[in-house]
Amino acid sequence: MTTSAQTSLLAVFSDIEPAADAIEQLRLLGIGDDCMNVISGIPVTEAMLGRPRQWTNVPRLALGGAVIGFGAGLFLAFVAPNLYPIVVGGRPYASFPPAVIILFELTMLVMLLATFLGVFLDSFFPNYRPMHYVPEISDGKIAILIECPPADESRMITTLRKLGAESVQFAEAQHL
Amino acid sequence: MTEKHEHTAERHLRKKHLMLDPLPRGQMNAMVMESMHATSWKFWVVFAVLAAITAWGLFYSWGVLMLDGLGMAGVNRPSYWGIFLVNTVFWIGISHAGTFISAILRVFKAEFRRPFTRAAELMTTFGLIQAGFSILMHMGRVWLAYWLLPYPNQRQLWPNVHSPLTWDLLAITTYLLASTMYLFLPLIPDLAMARDRSTGWRKTFYKILALGFRGTEGEWTHLRTAMNIFAFAIIPVMFSVHTIVSWDFAMATRPGWSSTVFGPYFVIGALHSGMGAVVVVLAIVRATMKHMDYFIRTEHFEAIGKLMLIISMGWGYFFFNDYIVQWYGGDVWTKQLLHWHEAGPLGWMWFAMLIFNVLIPWLVLWNRTWRSNPWIMLTVGLLINVGMWLERYIIIPISLTINRMPFTWRMYEPGIEIPLGIGTLAFFILLYLIASRLIPLVPVWEVQEGQMAHSLKKVGRETVVTVAELE
Repeated sequence: MTTSAQTSLLAVFSDIEPAADAIEQLRLLGIGDDCMNVISGIPVTEAMLGRPRQWTNVPRLALGGAVIGFGAGLFLAFVAPNLYPIVVGGRPYASFPPAVIILFELTMLVMLLATFLGVFLDSFFPNYRPMHYVPEISDGKIAILIECPPADESRMITTLRKLGAESVQFAEAQHL
Repeated sequence: MTEKHEHTAERHLRKKHLMLDPLPRGQMNAMVMESMHATSWKFWVVFAVLAAITAWGLFYSWGVLMLDGLGMAGVNRPSYWGIFLVNTVFWIGISHAGTFISAILRVFKAEFRRPFTRAAELMTTFGLIQAGFSILMHMGRVWLAYWLLPYPNQRQLWPNVHSPLTWDLLAITTYLLASTMYLFLPLIPDLAMARDRSTGWRKTFYKILALGFRGTEGEWTHLRTAMNIFAFAIIPVMFSVHTIVSWDFAMATRPGWSSTVFGPYFVIGALHSGMGAVVVVLAIVRATMKHMDYFIRTEHFEAIGKLMLIISMGWGYFFFNDYIVQWYGGDVWTKQLLHWHEAGPLGWMWFAMLIFNVLIPWLVLWNRTWRSNPWIMLTVGLLINVGMWLERYIIIPISLTINRMPFTWRMYEPGIEIPLGIGTLAFFILLYLIASRLIPLVPVWEVQEGQMAHSLKKVGRETVVTVAELE
């Protein structure tokens, strides 16, 4: 994102190794981890690039979904049969063995729905606004998106080129 | 070993294993995109034929069934469950392979899975659609399907949530939604790749489906975490679905059905037909789609062949377990039923089932050369599926013929079920055909990830394959 105070640069690397070196150098040049973002065509772990671990809410949302699903299962298995009683062969309205099945299915269903939804929420999907991106990324390149003060632009570009960047450009948000 | 021999061994390993034969990512992307775009006149002929069969078999016949009622079908006392339910169980079985290949092999980090997980996952979703259709056909008055849903209503009807049929509704709904989401999540990066390489309506199509994915660290982390949760969670869901389907039968105190082994017997049967179907799909995709021979190699048929052999042995074990307990029990009606299976007018189905499900896989799949041959594997996969369909036919309408009231014994003769069954098969293939032109069938990013993790290493005089733990 280009603001009056910051300039965005997009450096494209052909491999993980030079990208990791560049991140290290950028840090030495005073660029904080929160001013960098790595964009890649395959999942490159934070450890490979020497980046801080990414936060994700997906497991918590999944757990929340599981709890809600379990609650819905309890309602359907134990409360609903007493609200709308049906006598089947003199059996109790609600009993544990068949309830296990309802509890299991609803717990899993809502947990997985919450997991799926979690990806959307955490990643801000769907997002069709203009964004910083180059199509070469899905061809296996690794891009580093850097925000730096305008005064440091030329120093950054020179450093990134020296470290093996195939291209360094001013990042312009565009429709994907 | 001379240097020349070493090079030959290395070349052989690279040729054999996709993971050791990397191409630049851009080239792999281009190959997958070209495989989607390249359509010959043969494709359109097959497409038109399948569309016509679907229109006649599925939609026209279903319309007739709705207008004229269930009397058009052969279901009647004592066989109230006929081909509709046979097809339901069959398609749910087919759908198991997607999850098995994708989730179990992902959890156990079986690397050979990488190029064909999506082809298998698609089978899950498309198979479940046919299963859902088959259940709705069986209901007859399909417009009242919402009566199945457990909610209070003015009709004072409240489905019994402790009935196996309601369990079915919950399990199949859970599995259909879960497997569709599980198909979609790893597809997002490939849709983004397709978006970056498309123009016109395809660009818009992929842009909408890719949701704005770029591949940032955060996006990958959320995606990977979700895929891990799905891979672990969907396995018990998969087992539960076919177990619950088996309980539709096993919970009834009928001869031949009231069996405690039905749950695992159905699950292994589902995997048997599902794996057979995967191998059929892979052989056809490899033979008909451009560049697929690079991604799908004989090593994959060989690996799936081993799994099929193990599953076939498992199926044989559970079949025998189910059979001997019933036979040993000595119940007079069960004895009649077992005799009817083997020596009745449809006894040929019983023998064909054993030949296709056990004899042929055991005779063929032990041999590495044979199980590495796509055409042999395609034949075995097809025969297994015929065998598994016959198994379901034996369990449902044939077993229902014999019960504790001999005055009701009557052979089941299918009517409109036959075109409807053919229609679901044609629709399944048609959906697959459409998907093959719209969705990258090979998860390119997963293949590249796998190729990065693999390398060759010298151990003593031998060159061996090593895999690095990148995740």
